[in-house]
Amino acid sequence: MHRAMQTRFFETPNEKELLSASAAVLQDLGFQIEESVRAVGFLRATKERSAREYGQYLQQVLFLVLSLGNLRIPVDLHQKIAAGLITRPLNRDATRQEVRIVFYRVVWKGDGQADRQYIPPGQQSMEMIRDPEIYQQFFAKLSKAVFLEAHTL
Amino acid sequence: MTEQRRGSMTANTRCIWGGLLIVGSLLLSGCSTPPTPPDLLAPTDAQLKIRSIQTRTFDIKDRNVAMRAVIASLQDLGFIIERANEPLGLVTAARFAEPNYYDVISVTVTVRQDTKDRLTIRANAIYNNKPIDDPKVYQNFFASLERSLFLTKE
Repeated sequence: MHRAMQTRFFETPNEKELLSASAAVLQDLGFQIEESVRAVGFLRATKERSAREYGQYLQQVLFLVLSLGNLRIPVDLHQKIAAGLITRPLNRDATRQEVRIVFYRVVWKGDGQADRQYIPPGQQSMEMIRDPEIYQQFFAKLSKAVFLEAHTL
Repeated sequence: MTEQRRGSMTANTRCIWGGLLIVGSLLLSGCSTPPTPPDLLAPTDAQLKIRSIQTRTFDIKDRNVAMRAVIASLQDLGFIIERANEPLGLVTAARFAEPNYYDVISVTVTVRQDTKDRLTIRANAIYNNKPIDDPKVYQNFFASLERSLFLTKE
């Protein structure tokens, strides 16, 4: 289940450094660290951005024309992108470490209109981010930060 | 004459008081709560059964290893780790029951050291604010946890 994409191995006994480097990379990517537990190698980071997309506004206008101005479908307004990261030693001597990261986002919809009724922002939806490029980008930055090669499965 | 008036007045007030009493007692009987059952917080059989379904003991010395295995197996099952607390041995995770994003499964797992080389792991799963009491769900979770523990033991 997208495990290969989310996971990399590093030949290092220093889990703490890996974790702090991950935090630094996430900060470089504009995330803010929300929670960290060093003892189990856990980080959670989020960033909030606008989710407005050109295509959705085109769709909105199209529906508005087709429904003779009665229906303005809600569009994505705001999103919160989050990352959950876990590091863990793979063997007993802890010379190999695994880093696994999951990206997902929560999107707030709104700014629609049905007849005369304005639809206020509020509807939420959530999706996992499955774009491999985002994961590759993160791990490329991380391996640069710790001066180690990131091995895949 | 004054005495007569006073007498009629007392009769009047008595009437009013009587009426109030009757109405009041009617109102009160309408509002009275049933007596609290004494076994309100007593453990039920179902509760004990659910606890035994949710709990497994393992022969592991290192609690940290067990916690990491719990986190790994939750991630393998597609959960997003929300919170972890090492001193308390607590892991909270959630996931959307894909592909519909309005059903949420959230899990809290506690890892507790019983004796020096035994520890208890308890998982609580909730599906949309309703606790899951199906033993199969927990069997699946513990099966993947055992796999994960076995992997980290190597």
